[in-house]
Amino acid sequence: MDFVTLGGNLLGTIRLGDIVLYLTPFSLFLFAVLLGFTVLIGLSKPETQVEATMHYLNNTEVKVGQKELKQRRFLAVICGIASAGAMITGDLFNFTLFMALVGILNIGIVSAVKQTSVLDSAFNYGLIAMMCSLPLFGGAAIILAATGTLSLAVLSQMPASPMVVLGAVLMLLGILGESGVAPFFASKAEMFRTAGSPYIVIIHLSSLFIIVRAVEILLLVLW
Amino acid sequence: MRIGALWNKLAKPKNIPRLFAFSLGIILIIGLIVPLALNPDQLYVRPAPQEQVDEGLAIAPYDRGGVPLKEPGNIDPQYPENAESLGMITGYMSPLAEFVSSISPYFGTSIYSSPGGLIDEILYYTRGFDTILESSILMMSFIIASWLSINYTMNRKNDEDEIKKDVKKAIDDSNRVASHVKANDAKARAKQLRRDN
Repeated sequence: MDFVTLGGNLLGTIRLGDIVLYLTPFSLFLFAVLLGFTVLIGLSKPETQVEATMHYLNNTEVKVGQKELKQRRFLAVICGIASAGAMITGDLFNFTLFMALVGILNIGIVSAVKQTSVLDSAFNYGLIAMMCSLPLFGGAAIILAATGTLSLAVLSQMPASPMVVLGAVLMLLGILGESGVAPFFASKAEMFRTAGSPYIVIIHLSSLFIIVRAVEILLLVLW
Repeated sequence: MRIGALWNKLAKPKNIPRLFAFSLGIILIIGLIVPLALNPDQLYVRPAPQEQVDEGLAIAPYDRGGVPLKEPGNIDPQYPENAESLGMITGYMSPLAEFVSSISPYFGTSIYSSPGGLIDEILYYTRGFDTILESSILMMSFIIASWLSINYTMNRKNDEDEIKKDVKKAIDDSNRVASHVKANDAKARAKQLRRDN
């Protein structure tokens, strides 16, 4: 499928050697929205949770400490920038790299939490993220071997061979695992059941946006 | 099995990596029957296998021609207009590599040979942004790991909760040791008493 049918008119390109970033209204909109959210998250303070205790009259406060707040905010802002980069990239391998960066940052944001259930699911998500590098990079490599190019503009003009379809399916599986979409949602959904909300929300937001962009990329490659 | 039971199983984080590994395995097995063929029209051209070896070139199979900084080598990027001086260092080899290739016809197949100039061009010139991203992934993992180890693993002895827990544990331990000693003492005394009688 062509760029114009999916994302609207081509507004311009950013040339970085073989990696050319494309600016279409669609990708620019996603980019701007994500950057806006990142700014909001960078400026906001984390929420505090109150845990009620059964049968007793005392509540415990789940708070994010000053040091942890700074670390988490830094990682959340980088995560926002990385997922914004994935929105305007015009290169298949570049996209998988952004995806891997978002994955490691997602684990990092919750890594300092002191709740065992959260850390446990973060560990399980980490296992998936580790496994995901095989289908993500392998899929991109198979598409490169089959077509001889990684540029999305060139790939969108090429007919899809069975090998390209295999590469795209592998990439799709990698994206599903890394962004925690059903049926692999449980490990990621349990991960952000903790205090410090606006920073935690970027975990959810980045995977949401990346899935939208991944659908566009897979349509470009396959049709 | 009812679909509800299946969903409940999926809601446990512990099961998810297994499910993912299983589905990845299924797709890889299906991949074995998909016809795979390398498209020869590649981004960075490679000569046909054995072609350079048959010609007897010293750095076969990595000879891509070109004289460093004078004549561009045989390299074909996607967007040549974005990398105008591409190919100028394709043929670069270190002095040691030059020397070894001058005395040995097998330099290209040895472990210490690598197309240095070419890899530099791909990594830092045509695909430089990827290199930045790759190293930033590494940097982020180091930041996370070092922050955790400085603030939690190394700082554990200053953590108040940890200190309280440690003190409690130490008291419990010494109590247990004391009661052990007492019990053994009583046992030994009883034994001695039995023997004396």
